[in-house]
Amino acid sequence: MSGCSDDNNTDSFLNPTRRQLLAFGLAGAAAAWMGPVLGWVPGAEAAGPPAKPTGQAIVGLSQEPTVFNPLMLHIEVDEAVYFNLFSGLWRVDPKGNFTPDLASEIPSLENGGISADGLTWRIKLRDGIKWHDGTPFTAEDVKFNIELINNPNFRAGRRAGHELVKDIKVVSPTELTWRMEKAYAPYQAILSWTFFVPKHILEKEADPNTSSFNNKPIGTGPFKWVERVPGDHITLAANTTYHGGGPYLERLVIKYIPDMTVLYTQFRTGDIDYIGLQGISPDHYDEAKGLAQRDVMPVPQPFIENIAFNLGLPVFQDRAVREALYYGMDKQSIIEAIYYGLPKESEAFLPAQSWAFNPDLPKHSYDPAKARKILDDAGWVVGSGGVREKNGVRLEFVNSTTAGNHVREQAQQLLQQNWMEIGAKMSISNLPAAVMWGEYWMMSKFETAMVGIGFMIGPDPDATDFFASRSIGAQGGAGQNTTQYASKDVDTLLQEGAATVDQDKRKTVYQKMQTVTRHDLPYLPIFQYAMVSGTKAGLAGFTPNVNVQENCWNANTWYWAN
Amino acid sequence: MARFIFGRVVQSLILLCLVSMIGFAVLHLAPGGPLAQFALVPGMSQADIARIAAQMGLDRPLPIQYWEWFTRLLLGDWGNSYRDSQPVLSVIGSRLGATLQLMVTATLIAIVLGVWIGVMGAIRRYSVFDYLGTIGAMIALSIPTFWFGLVMIYIFSVKLGWLPSGNRSTVGDGSFFDYAYHLIAPSIVLALVEVAVWSRYMRSSMLDVINQDFIRTARAKGLPERVVLFHHTMRNALLPMITLAGLELPVLLSGALVTETVFTWPGMGRLFLDSLGYRDYPVVMGILMFSAVLVLVGNLLADCFCAIADPRIRLD
Amino acid sequence: MMVKAVDYLEEDPVLTVVKQPRSANRAWQRFRRHRLAMFGVFMIVLLVLATAVGPHLIPFDDLFIDIRNRFAPPLSGAHVLGTDPLGRDLAARLLMAGRISLTVGFAAMVISTIIGTVIGVVAGFYGRIVGTILMRFVDAILCFPTIFLVLALAALIKPSVVTITLIIAATGWMEVARVVESQIRTLRERDFATAALMMGASDRYIMFRELIPNAIGPIVVAATLCIARAILMEAYVSFLGYGIQPPAASWGNMLNNAQQYLGSAPWLAIFPGLMITLAVTSFNFIGDGLRDALDARLDVS
Repeated sequence: MSGCSDDNNTDSFLNPTRRQLLAFGLAGAAAAWMGPVLGWVPGAEAAGPPAKPTGQAIVGLSQEPTVFNPLMLHIEVDEAVYFNLFSGLWRVDPKGNFTPDLASEIPSLENGGISADGLTWRIKLRDGIKWHDGTPFTAEDVKFNIELINNPNFRAGRRAGHELVKDIKVVSPTELTWRMEKAYAPYQAILSWTFFVPKHILEKEADPNTSSFNNKPIGTGPFKWVERVPGDHITLAANTTYHGGGPYLERLVIKYIPDMTVLYTQFRTGDIDYIGLQGISPDHYDEAKGLAQRDVMPVPQPFIENIAFNLGLPVFQDRAVREALYYGMDKQSIIEAIYYGLPKESEAFLPAQSWAFNPDLPKHSYDPAKARKILDDAGWVVGSGGVREKNGVRLEFVNSTTAGNHVREQAQQLLQQNWMEIGAKMSISNLPAAVMWGEYWMMSKFETAMVGIGFMIGPDPDATDFFASRSIGAQGGAGQNTTQYASKDVDTLLQEGAATVDQDKRKTVYQKMQTVTRHDLPYLPIFQYAMVSGTKAGLAGFTPNVNVQENCWNANTWYWAN
Repeated sequence: MARFIFGRVVQSLILLCLVSMIGFAVLHLAPGGPLAQFALVPGMSQADIARIAAQMGLDRPLPIQYWEWFTRLLLGDWGNSYRDSQPVLSVIGSRLGATLQLMVTATLIAIVLGVWIGVMGAIRRYSVFDYLGTIGAMIALSIPTFWFGLVMIYIFSVKLGWLPSGNRSTVGDGSFFDYAYHLIAPSIVLALVEVAVWSRYMRSSMLDVINQDFIRTARAKGLPERVVLFHHTMRNALLPMITLAGLELPVLLSGALVTETVFTWPGMGRLFLDSLGYRDYPVVMGILMFSAVLVLVGNLLADCFCAIADPRIRLD
Repeated sequence: MMVKAVDYLEEDPVLTVVKQPRSANRAWQRFRRHRLAMFGVFMIVLLVLATAVGPHLIPFDDLFIDIRNRFAPPLSGAHVLGTDPLGRDLAARLLMAGRISLTVGFAAMVISTIIGTVIGVVAGFYGRIVGTILMRFVDAILCFPTIFLVLALAALIKPSVVTITLIIAATGWMEVARVVESQIRTLRERDFATAALMMGASDRYIMFRELIPNAIGPIVVAATLCIARAILMEAYVSFLGYGIQPPAASWGNMLNNAQQYLGSAPWLAIFPGLMITLAVTSFNFIGDGLRDALDARLDVS
């Protein structure tokens, strides 16, 4: 279908032939009518961004952003709004570097922002920044935000890192210092994902959880809040006094379309200009590539698809079983056939884009004969029904994931056949998300799970929550080590990595750790996710960023180029 | 009559309490919970989940949670949504319009078409039209709605490009034309089943009346067939339809879950599915109570109407 | 919305006059003359035979994955109806799915009819407090949207063919109970019931030997429509993600999994969609025919 901004052939709209009229139907007429509103200038070929905000872009997401206080508990899609409404101290770019946002410089050992022991931080802020309501942004706001996160009555999302911050001192409106309880290198990355809310509004609220702010948020970001139609869309308008680049769009509309097939259809018909989370389903990738006036591209994501074992079960305590199952997995078919070659094979828990990624891990191969030999050697003999047994334990288990993920269900069924061939019997029991990722997952009540996990904390490779033996929820731990993996080596490496400030030293540590987990296989890594993203041709500025949760992170630099 | 109504209202209130208890218990006892959706958010840990559960009071015994919810409800406080922290009533209110718009359109189409098909079918019983009507209605009742909706989208939006593939309106366009244009596909899909139901009811109601003595008398008096059919028969056959409309009231408002999902219609049905999926307990309970009240009111109205229309029915 | 198939059956059960044995013959004759109903019976017999025997005649296993041969269109090779996204034979899956869907439909019908009949009979026979409590309970359950009951129950137990059947049955008996209760309420005032009571027959004897046989007509009609509803329900449960677990196929989950291939491999959605529509329509035809056949008023005209 004809959209609003992708058609520079004016004549066909002004003098449509009968066939075109039928083809475009009423929407075509509506689009032509809306043309001027959207800043679609016939024949004009703009080379760069416009002088003042022009036009609008519609972002389509398959989940609904509902939480507008960025410090509160929220999910990934909510950040699509945060990046455009709010600002943090600094941002993280696609290469993993930090760029100043509210801060005027990134604190480091060199500029004295962080002391050599990593305990004292000094933050310098940019001058002259204003909230959307005109009130100046100051160091008091920063102090208020960190304190709010640690407020026991406030339903803050992540507290990791923030809870170590003590003695916040405001030196001047543009400078503050604090002390860390212990050195914690990932904190810089965490701060790149921390967006600030205005003190002058929230301090007046009796209950920060149900404040009216959530309904009409005010930030320092490139766009201002206009309205939200629940269950449908959110409209943001350009903030002309924004302290960074842009914005070049007059309006940004974030639309919620609850079904991925419908989301894709709307991208195809031109109802949305950019297709964000959860993207185009791999099944539609081939077709989508061929669409006229659409730019479609796979965008790497930080999530690794895994088979997670519950090591609390006797059958998985034997490393031979885990290794054999890995050899028995036809990874190539999963990636090439079921996922259409989009994701990249992975051996590590870190994405290939991470600075700490270890490219030298042993390569997986699909070798059922070797798998059978490993099991034979380990004493797993084929018993009744072709299922192997050892000491009365049958090599039989349940695999679970979120119900309704069709593509993943296909991979599950292929694995089922793969593993039956080596004498391991897997059955499938998928659960609705609210059940699957509740206690069933957090308290290790599953047997095996197929799950995509971002192991990093923000863009930082620290994976303590998933691998440290003190992070096992089922054993009273605080993290998310649901496989119940315990390794002294890994514990030591994780501790060292988090306490070291120097990045090169940290890199060695995390690379060593990846070698250990590749050997121990608490998770069988399958691939690193790539989401198929798409934009309408002519929408300039879109830059995928593996270090953020939603790729409209830089919508302030988007504009219509034709 | 007044005594009857009073009795039924008291009964209904007891029923509402029962419904709220069953609903609350089932909802909270089901495995999983509102925090599961956050488990895979990067950086989330069991410590955070446990802390937030405690902050939200989800770790308290169920009867205490129920009592708190119930006493607040009595004071008019329906609680706040876990998802967007808005008051439940305003969350429901914000979706009511979209659902009403869709359901009223579909119901109007259904009544007009359904009554027409039903009446014609009954008059010309066993004619080709009647057969086609019956077969059509049967098939309409048998097609899975989501399948029909998807096929509609595929043909009319994707292949032909005649209709929008969903949504209530084009963003930024609030014109009547735009709203009407978006209404076409979902209301047809929704009306399909309704037409079938109404035409079946209407047909059988017409047949009931046609076989009654007063119609024979009217015919015997030599009244023109047209007058007999449309003045005597149809008027009487329409009476039970009003009862049906009363019973349809709650269906109307709770929204067509599936149609709303397929056509991304921001109505009550989808709100309910979403809230249930996210275990947004206050909103789910709110919608449950809301629709239970509608069911009870609908039933009560239908019963009262029956009693008024047909004096043979004793209410007590 | 999805309960509509049964809704119109309720139109007025009281009007359906009690059959005496002699009129059974006439009813059967009327039923046989009901062309749509006979078509329905024919289709169901055909479907049952096909799903029972068919899988043995097809040279492919419904579970065998052949990943290199995915999305083969119908009539393009050895696979008559083509293959699915994992290269499994669609015809074999369709027939095996039919077994599950029809079994679920039939079993759910039996269970909900039994529960509904027992509750309806007890409520209708005893009336007063027992009847009121039971029927208010039915009302209370009817206050819940069907979807809520299904999803809530599905979340409580592990999904399998048996549990799905139970869930569908658990949400379908209320209509039967209402129909039966109103039937029994009128029947128990009639001479034969009063006579049995006078003769000192036990309550249980009167309920199950005297009343139920006389109310069997509407119960059969309700039961037929119950199957139709159950098959559709299974499809909706699958659509909402609580259906039969892979790799087993049901028409519902096949249809659900085919959604995203509507453009590229439409046959994946069309065949199961047609099968559901065909089976449900057939049961609806039969139910309609039965109601007409058991309706003695038609004798007059």
